[in-house]
Amino acid sequence: MLNGKAKILSIVLCILGILISISSTGIAASPSIVRYSSDWPVLIDPSVGSDVQSMTAIVNLFDPLVFVDTKGNIIPHVAKSWDISSDGLTYTFYLRPGIKFHDGSELTAEDVKFSMDRNLKIGEGIAYLWLGKIQETKVIDKYKVVFHMKTVFGPFLSTLPSFFIVNKKLIMANIKKPGMYDDMGDYAKVYASAHDVGSGPYMIKNFSAEYILMEKNPNYFLDIASAPDEFEMIASTEPTLVKTLMARRELEMTNRWMGSETLESLAKIEGIKVTQWRASNMEYITMNTKKPPLDDIHVRKALAWAFDYDAAVKLSPGSVQARGPVSLTVPGSDPNCFQYHRDLNRAKMELKQSKYYGHFDEYPIECQWNTNISMEKEAMLLMANAAEIGLTVNVKETTWALLCSDSAKVETTPDLHVLSDSSFYPEAASLIQGRYHSMTAGTWEQGEWLLDPILDKMIDDILATSDNNERYAKYREVTKYIIDLCPTIFILESPERIAYQAAYMEWPAAKGEVIPAYQYENMMRFIKVYPEKREELLKK
Amino acid sequence: MKNINIIFIIKRLFYSIFVLWGLSVVIFVLMRIAPGDPARMALGSRTPEEVVQRFRIAMYYDKPIYIQYYYWFKGMLHGDLGVSLVTKHPVLEDISQVFPATFELAIFAFIFIIVIGITIGIISARYNNTWVDNLGRLVAYFGIVTPSFVFAIMGMLIFCYALKILPSMGRLSPELIYPPKITGLITIDALIQGNFIVFFDAFKHLILPVVSIGLLGMAEEARITRTSIYNNMRKDYVVAAESYGIPERVIMFRDVLKPSLNPVVSILGLEFAAILAQSFLVELIFNWPGFARYGMVAIIQKDLNAIYGVVLITGIFVIFGNIIADIIVGFLDPRIYLIKERSEKIR
Repeated sequence: MLNGKAKILSIVLCILGILISISSTGIAASPSIVRYSSDWPVLIDPSVGSDVQSMTAIVNLFDPLVFVDTKGNIIPHVAKSWDISSDGLTYTFYLRPGIKFHDGSELTAEDVKFSMDRNLKIGEGIAYLWLGKIQETKVIDKYKVVFHMKTVFGPFLSTLPSFFIVNKKLIMANIKKPGMYDDMGDYAKVYASAHDVGSGPYMIKNFSAEYILMEKNPNYFLDIASAPDEFEMIASTEPTLVKTLMARRELEMTNRWMGSETLESLAKIEGIKVTQWRASNMEYITMNTKKPPLDDIHVRKALAWAFDYDAAVKLSPGSVQARGPVSLTVPGSDPNCFQYHRDLNRAKMELKQSKYYGHFDEYPIECQWNTNISMEKEAMLLMANAAEIGLTVNVKETTWALLCSDSAKVETTPDLHVLSDSSFYPEAASLIQGRYHSMTAGTWEQGEWLLDPILDKMIDDILATSDNNERYAKYREVTKYIIDLCPTIFILESPERIAYQAAYMEWPAAKGEVIPAYQYENMMRFIKVYPEKREELLKK
Repeated sequence: MKNINIIFIIKRLFYSIFVLWGLSVVIFVLMRIAPGDPARMALGSRTPEEVVQRFRIAMYYDKPIYIQYYYWFKGMLHGDLGVSLVTKHPVLEDISQVFPATFELAIFAFIFIIVIGITIGIISARYNNTWVDNLGRLVAYFGIVTPSFVFAIMGMLIFCYALKILPSMGRLSPELIYPPKITGLITIDALIQGNFIVFFDAFKHLILPVVSIGLLGMAEEARITRTSIYNNMRKDYVVAAESYGIPERVIMFRDVLKPSLNPVVSILGLEFAAILAQSFLVELIFNWPGFARYGMVAIIQKDLNAIYGVVLITGIFVIFGNIIADIIVGFLDPRIYLIKERSEKIR
């Protein structure tokens, strides 16, 4: 029998237990909200943020100058129309009047000019798209702005869906001095990293280290009545947590880094579907063309012939073998370009033509990988395939920090590296320039160290071509040139695979309506949620 | 309290300054040696080299290491820990946002370790070599062999995914509003405000993370308490007290427990550092917006300013935790100061 004190303690513990259990048990009424699992941190300043999570927030908080449709055509948005001069050096944009920033002030040509000037001065994020290309931005009148180019930049219009407009008045009011940018102080980078300076369909409601919660902009210039009232980015990609939240209907969309096993287990839950689409993600094995034996084209071709592409595709559900350096979903890619396939005889023949033949053991080859397990599998596959033709390849895991520092010099750049990359704007130049122009040698993006002046000239010439048809023809030529050099094993085009609450959410990307601009598939204004259907699911 | 040596505390505080200074130097040098260009990592691979170089100059990364340290130290003395290369916010602002979340976890983990660990230890010692003792040992061994993140994941799968009786993430349910910030600890702030709904909801969110983090400490305290009490129960003065007919409960709590807690409290001083170490993965798993997670991201991304800030704050709290533990030990066992005084008199 319990004595007096023990009885009292038991009663207190019982009451405590009851109070805890009846305290808030989760979502009471279903809100019109989309919750998305996101990496962290999220940089909401469009002059600074460029990673997946930052761009997901930016495309909802801000407006781009122009938009892009699912076919890659540039269409009006903030700019209702534009003219391009015949020499391709002047772009005049006519803005739509009446677009308001979230603080109520109107978006004008001054804000457009200011935003571009700010991008170029800060130079971070995606500013590399325009640095060295824009001579000057001029305000003609309240709704007319002109970009004067230094040289012809053919893909310029294609890059502008990634140019987002910030509130000049708010930025100028929050500049801190002294700073890195002379009379502009810090250019309000600290302020803009935590405050809303946009005009987009969503506004910041709450921003913490735990999540970023956005609410619909009631004064948006387009009709977004059917869009979710709120969009929340939850700062976690931890698979167990994501799976738990999806099962409890406390998360509507997973992130793109979920493993196949987690996605498969999610797909078994009622009402959840895994959708996938190809969005220019490419996986390659880069070959350091300046280090023996890979400085010999025959060795590189031997590896390209020996690689088992079908096995690689099976490792990555939903993927297809890559065809050339650019995803076939990107305008400017060549669907008819040469494609390697597994042929061990041809691989061995190539090796025999190599100057290193008979001495391969003197030149050990290392294949490095980082980021995720599927890349390790591809590295292991290459190791096995290379062994079949008598080449020894060792596999080693590296870290992002090491890769960045090792890539700075030829000698320390890995012999082989499994790389994932994607196009930042809807044109082939994004990947071709990023991957093979000499300006990116010494970065993680180009482990090949091509330093080919002919290739550089071809790429520069493409960028300087304003006529689309002419430019696209040149893309085909440069694609052939790159494939002939064989600096890379083009493994596959990997899909984005995301699990979402199909039972109560309509998502255009899930129906194949994908806009080929960075993170545009996460634009909430095109998504619909049905809270009442969620309620029904929860009752089951 | 008369036994607490004030001079001792002042000395410890004084030496702590040198310890923290040494810590900052070691971390500063180590992080500079670690691979990776922090400027390039902060700005991305496609940012032009001239922009990266300008950034390096602004952050003094182009200067010798001792010059870099000088600027950082100078800023630190003015309360400026610089701007995070990753979040782009002032480091002090970031830390002031995330530290209370981890501090709240740590406080409750401490309470869990002390209350549950010592209770299990007492019961195990009292009923030594019976099934009760064996059960206590089993619980302790489970806590020792199970990594915190494994328990966290298991706990989430059982209580959040399968049974759905506990929340799976964050500090508060989304439909509730955070109480006005007084301490930054939601439970305390809610109690101060008299908002019991928020208090109990926040408490519920704490359960799994706290148990995950505190499990190892609880197990250690249980084992140490059991051993300590068991040994002290066989001391002559306890036997004498029993022979006088003093009730067992009185002997236990008056004569045995207090001296038995010496090693327990000494270990507690080290527990704070252990709690922080356990917190890294647990905060990730439960999306707890805490200091440990912030520190981990900073290390992975080589966010130098944030790393120095995190190490400095951690060092301060570990040092203070140990000083407080020493004070408590002295309070619990006056012999420590009496012996010291006696030895000083003899000299």
